[in-house]
Amino acid sequence: MQATRRLLQHRQPMIKFLGKRTPPANVDHSPHAHPASPTHSLPDSFATYRQKAQQHGPLTQSTNFHSGAIGGHSGHSLGSIRPGKGEVFDRSDLPARFRRTPWTQAEIEAIESGGASMFA
Amino acid sequence: MMLKAFVPRSSLRSISRPLGGSTSAFRHTPSSFFLIESSRLRRGYATETEEKDLIVIGGGVAGYVAAIKAGQEGLKVACIEKRGSLGGTCLNVGCIPSKSLLNNSHLYHQILHDTKNRGIDVKEVSLNLQQMMKAKDTSVQGLTKGVEFLFKKNNVEYFKGTGAFVDPHTVAVNLVGGGETSVRGKNIFIATGSEATPFPGLEIDEKKVITSTGAIALEQVPKKMVVIGGGIIGLEMASVWSRLGSEVTIVEFLGQIGGPGMDADISKNIQKTLQKQGLKFKLNTKVTNGDASGEGVKISTEAAKGGKEEVLDADVVLVAIGRRPYTAGLGLENIGIETDTRGRLVIDSEYRTGPHAHIRVIGDCTFGPMLAHKAEEEAVAAVEFLTKSYGHVNYNAIPSVMYTHPEVAWVGQNEAELKAQGVKYKVGTFPFTANSRAKTNLDTDGLVKFLADAETDRILGVHIVGPNAGEMIAEGTLALEYGASTEDVGRTSHAHPTLAEAFKEAAMATYGKAIHY
Repeated sequence: MQATRRLLQHRQPMIKFLGKRTPPANVDHSPHAHPASPTHSLPDSFATYRQKAQQHGPLTQSTNFHSGAIGGHSGHSLGSIRPGKGEVFDRSDLPARFRRTPWTQAEIEAIESGGASMFA
Repeated sequence: MMLKAFVPRSSLRSISRPLGGSTSAFRHTPSSFFLIESSRLRRGYATETEEKDLIVIGGGVAGYVAAIKAGQEGLKVACIEKRGSLGGTCLNVGCIPSKSLLNNSHLYHQILHDTKNRGIDVKEVSLNLQQMMKAKDTSVQGLTKGVEFLFKKNNVEYFKGTGAFVDPHTVAVNLVGGGETSVRGKNIFIATGSEATPFPGLEIDEKKVITSTGAIALEQVPKKMVVIGGGIIGLEMASVWSRLGSEVTIVEFLGQIGGPGMDADISKNIQKTLQKQGLKFKLNTKVTNGDASGEGVKISTEAAKGGKEEVLDADVVLVAIGRRPYTAGLGLENIGIETDTRGRLVIDSEYRTGPHAHIRVIGDCTFGPMLAHKAEEEAVAAVEFLTKSYGHVNYNAIPSVMYTHPEVAWVGQNEAELKAQGVKYKVGTFPFTANSRAKTNLDTDGLVKFLADAETDRILGVHIVGPNAGEMIAEGTLALEYGASTEDVGRTSHAHPTLAEAFKEAAMATYGKAIHY
């Protein structure tokens, strides 16, 4: 430690140890000109793309998401997800994708016949 | 048993629903449990058009690196390549075969002309061009098969065929072995590379009028060869055939050889050395016309600024005036991706195309220098944008190497660029004639040149012409990447006796004085 301090008194290397690389906390993904681009500018297509592009809603939407629909509110602002007192949720209340996939008649027959119906 | 078969399974299951539900005050919804939309009945069986996380069009250096990296990151990836072997221009008809020829032709030339003073008497040296080409092919095959193995190891699905966009997410593949298939991808990388720019008026037949592809596969040594273009590819190929016995003349439109980026001092230095080796240069000279109708080829030239005209005769003409992006047949018109005036696909800083953010472009067919190692960097960064949403390539620290003898290598800016930007800089040089190892090798042509910021001493550019320059530039690139000063390099111990000491001493000459010069 002392030795390092003494050494650095004389000369501080310009090389900086960068350490383990971690992605920056906030990455701005909006289109910027490519560093090797000869014009250092982007054509209009990039802006028009973002105008019409959809990703969890329009890309260009302002920060005000409260449009009235339930999707316009943050989950936090809607309160607890637990059922109220005396209230119980049923699986059939869930959106379709969370329910069990029902058996088709063909599958039922295949299982019941030990697979024979698949070749009948 | 029989009864069960008639009772729909779902109703059996409905009985076993938690009882609590029936007594509760749950919000009533019409039970859609039995009225299921047909989409829910679809199970996830694999089908022909399984959607990939990533499709890479092109199995060159950009494409195969992206595919392997994506495979390593756990993405479902497919790579489409039409050549029949992976590795693209670099492995098949570019960097790799040319290095094989450069190395072996150098050995041949050295055995012919540079053995007596070293104390080696050699008798009857002859060239077996066929065997030299075979050695080249063996190296190429080994490497391309190696890439194919890496595909298997990293679960990359390899389509041998020509890919073309059908829509922004679907690529039709016209298979090499016949037939057609298509792949769908959440993300698509275009990595279709580049091709040699033809010279207007000269039809490429790869026999008499050749590009770099033909130049690595000539069946006999031409007596006279004219190279149009004094860039890196032109000079490397000129070196090969000159060493094997051709009389080579290089015609360059500009006033210096080496192409863009090469420092003027370095360019002059290497030109002198190459001239000593027997290459002839015609700088500031424009090729006005070419006639390949006769037995040989006649090349008409005139001074670039007008004036003196001359006709050059050649058995073979190498067209090496540059490369252009190769995107023909890709179906870009089906998805509306635009190209700039030089045919490069326009992308943003994250390699995304304008109309489709899920389509990215890497390698030679977009901006930046057409170099295999640049393409590799981009491939890794582009995949990281998918998996980590952050990637980075430092375009200011991409080295360039010319594998003539001596080699030329540089990284960062040259003097002309610094002057144009008005940057105050200092210069330090060290010649290989003062380097002990170069002296013992009897290989002392060249020098190392540092350019550093006058105030901070930060390295701005490193330019080397000399033995092993291509390996030495790695140290310069690392120094540039880490923002080192010349003093940082100069105070680092370099083994003695090595060529790398010349690098250290040039750094010392920049901030102070070199010891041995």
